[in-house]
Amino acid sequence: MSSITPEEFVHTAKKFIELSDKFFDSWSFHQNDNDILKTYVKKEEFVNHRDEGEKVFLYRAEYIIFYNLSYGVPSFSFNIWNSSGTLLTLEEVRQMSLMKISKEDFYSVITQQEHPVMHRPYFIIHPCNTEKILLYFKHTTKNLIVTFLGLITPLIQLNLPLEYGL
Amino acid sequence: MLKSEEKKDIIQYVPFMSFVHPSFWHSLTEMKLNVDKLNESTKQVFGRYSYRDDTVSVFEVDGTSFNTNPEIELHYINVTGTLMNKNTIEDFKNIDKASLINSVGEIMRANIQTKSWIDNPNNLLNFFILSFADLKKFHYYYWFAFPAPSQPIVCLKEKCQNISTYFNEKQIKDISKSFQVLETTQKCFFAIIKNNDTAEVVKLSKILDKNSKELKINLTNTFFAFADHSNGPNPGWPLRIFLAALLDFCPNLSKTTIQIIGIRCSKNGSLTSSQIYNITVPEGVQTPENIGWVGWERNDRGNFGPKLANMSASMDPVKLADTSSDLNIKLMKWRLVPDLNVDVMKNTKCLLLGSGTLGCHVARDLLAWGFRHITFVDNGKVSYSNPTRQVLYTFQDCLNGGKRKAEAAADNIKLILPTVQSQGLNLHIPMPGHPIGESLKQETITNVKLLTEAIESHDVIFLLLDTREARWLPTLISAHYGKIVINAALGFDSYLVMRHGISSVPKETSMNSSYVSGDQLGCYFCNDVTAPGNSAKDRTLDQQCTVSRPGAAAVAAALAVELLVALLQHRLRVKAPALYNITDEDIDSELQGVLGPIPHSIRGFLHSYQTVLPTCTKFKQCIACSQVVINKYREEGIEFLMKVFNSGTYLEEITGLTELQLTAEMTEILTFSDEDQENTDDA
Ligand SMILES: [Zn+2]
Repeated sequence: MSSITPEEFVHTAKKFIELSDKFFDSWSFHQNDNDILKTYVKKEEFVNHRDEGEKVFLYRAEYIIFYNLSYGVPSFSFNIWNSSGTLLTLEEVRQMSLMKISKEDFYSVITQQEHPVMHRPYFIIHPCNTEKILLYFKHTTKNLIVTFLGLITPLIQLNLPLEYGL
Repeated sequence: MLKSEEKKDIIQYVPFMSFVHPSFWHSLTEMKLNVDKLNESTKQVFGRYSYRDDTVSVFEVDGTSFNTNPEIELHYINVTGTLMNKNTIEDFKNIDKASLINSVGEIMRANIQTKSWIDNPNNLLNFFILSFADLKKFHYYYWFAFPAPSQPIVCLKEKCQNISTYFNEKQIKDISKSFQVLETTQKCFFAIIKNNDTAEVVKLSKILDKNSKELKINLTNTFFAFADHSNGPNPGWPLRIFLAALLDFCPNLSKTTIQIIGIRCSKNGSLTSSQIYNITVPEGVQTPENIGWVGWERNDRGNFGPKLANMSASMDPVKLADTSSDLNIKLMKWRLVPDLNVDVMKNTKCLLLGSGTLGCHVARDLLAWGFRHITFVDNGKVSYSNPTRQVLYTFQDCLNGGKRKAEAAADNIKLILPTVQSQGLNLHIPMPGHPIGESLKQETITNVKLLTEAIESHDVIFLLLDTREARWLPTLISAHYGKIVINAALGFDSYLVMRHGISSVPKETSMNSSYVSGDQLGCYFCNDVTAPGNSAKDRTLDQQCTVSRPGAAAVAAALAVELLVALLQHRLRVKAPALYNITDEDIDSELQGVLGPIPHSIRGFLHSYQTVLPTCTKFKQCIACSQVVINKYREEGIEFLMKVFNSGTYLEEITGLTELQLTAEMTEILTFSDEDQENTDDA
């Protein structure tokens, strides 16, 4: 079995937060005592985008890793918004290359849907390939979420500290 | 000359840029709808800014801003502020912004004068949000203000310097350590006292005595400090109010150089990028009797004016439903059928003639495929027997004599997806061999006109009627306008789904061709050699839907919509060829569409779970789509139609079918003998 249990996810998430704290990477842990499936880790950061006219725009990006029950794997979701709180569309995100993704991969892997934990629209990376790949790492990796983020980085530029050992 | 140099040194504060988290608007909306309603009283809100050296000068509010207590976050200063949400856009526009900020300022000035800020320095910080929430459109107009007095005007004695020019490494570490343990409410404004080899952070109340106007401290080794959101050479906005308070408390400070440290911290908590500002207070530029308050934020165009947050895409449930259902289609394209044209469904207008079992199922399947223009035609009312089979209706629609079907269907489909464009046309379709009395003549003419206009203004005509005769007029009019026609008919446990060709000029198809060009395909009546008359004869198809197996309508409707979509996705659309043998393994890709080969007709039998796909060409003497009939219609219009309605044999005469009667009877006998065989098997 390549999937992990919700308990394993929570355990891994806690260990991941310890690493993040150590490397000052500002991921935070959010637990729901009533519902283990609502546990997630989150990071927010400001990102800059310079348009053709060299004008700099400021955006805030939020990344959330939560447990996907159907696939039994961590799932990655994100949103990016401007200073008024308006979410960017997927096409805007893609065109600004805030995230480095090819057009085909982008649309086949990322979709906007209601977030199972946050109950608001988020971009969610489809987990169908995660399961297969995580299988290779489940017993060898020090932290599955770190490995998972390593899988995501070709799709999304996350500026992860090198100390994670990706 | 001297004056301009002086001016250059006047301190420039780095303003805050408001940055709103989407959850702020969610919380505000919830509060407005469930708690405040029409109450317009102001509300306490929290905001925060960071003194991290790697973040921009933003002031943030989010969903937690409305909590009773602010969330504590590392390297952030919480600020208590006020939200004034107006009920109308007029109130929002018309309120006097200058007097609003001044009235907030006067409260702040009173606070300064009570000296309460010495014990609670957090009290010096303040912000204000003026807003108007258009909750129908999910548009939020808002304007932030960070009030500060326009006076006193102070100058930078020299460019800011890094903290290391005044403090050694050990002293900076001392400061970091004691700053870390300082209470969160004291972190915004405090003091740092430098000793020989050490430095310590002290609360303002330690060095400022509320009962004395004099400072009992040595200003040469005392630095006033504030959490500085700026990353550049100029200090952050909070210093402005801090200096105003300090100078109000001790006017004598203006006679000396005031040493200020702007605390800036790196992600690991080190304060090595903090800056030192040496401040002097020039004489003669102060006008204390006329102090106003400033601090309205500039908008994205650089003007003093409100900003707009258009949150409809992520908050309007109607938009969310629309984009989410579109997503299903897009996922098909992105993951499985890259050549799928998503827009063609959105832009194709469908006319559903018949809003019964077939019509309801077809409408739902169209919706699922992303169609957004659906018009219903029917002349019936919803009766108690309908809702279980006719999936758009509910019990409620049957009450009080029943709603008109076409209108109920249009209303109910909007309950499923509010963005669908749908309407109902309540009209009876006149039929050949059903004579029109004088009393109904005018109404019939009107109905023909309405039907003609409806067909003309739609792209696809679905024939989902429950009698064969009713299909004749729409078949003819659609052929005249060259519209795509999808026809579905039900028997007890059999169904027929087919598309019509459009060309009224039949071409000879070569006998050994493997397909028929789409425009040459026959219509529903081409296969029949009898004209539709008002006959009581039992037929296998087109009986009342209520006597067919319920699944037949669902299957037929689904196939009808799939057939249409396959056609629309084909490069040749209505001209897409129909193969004689669709089960061939190597079908030329030219003959297929994005979704595969497209049959002419599908005939299914639930009894044996069999499906056959007959393909046939146009019949030269067809009573609905042949040249002679269409020409008659074009020449004589309603006169011709009236003759057809009033006579059971007129169509057969003009098409020459009468002469073919003998052959027709032969065919019928042959057909029935097959079915008789089946029926015997049944028994
Ligand atoms: Zn025909």
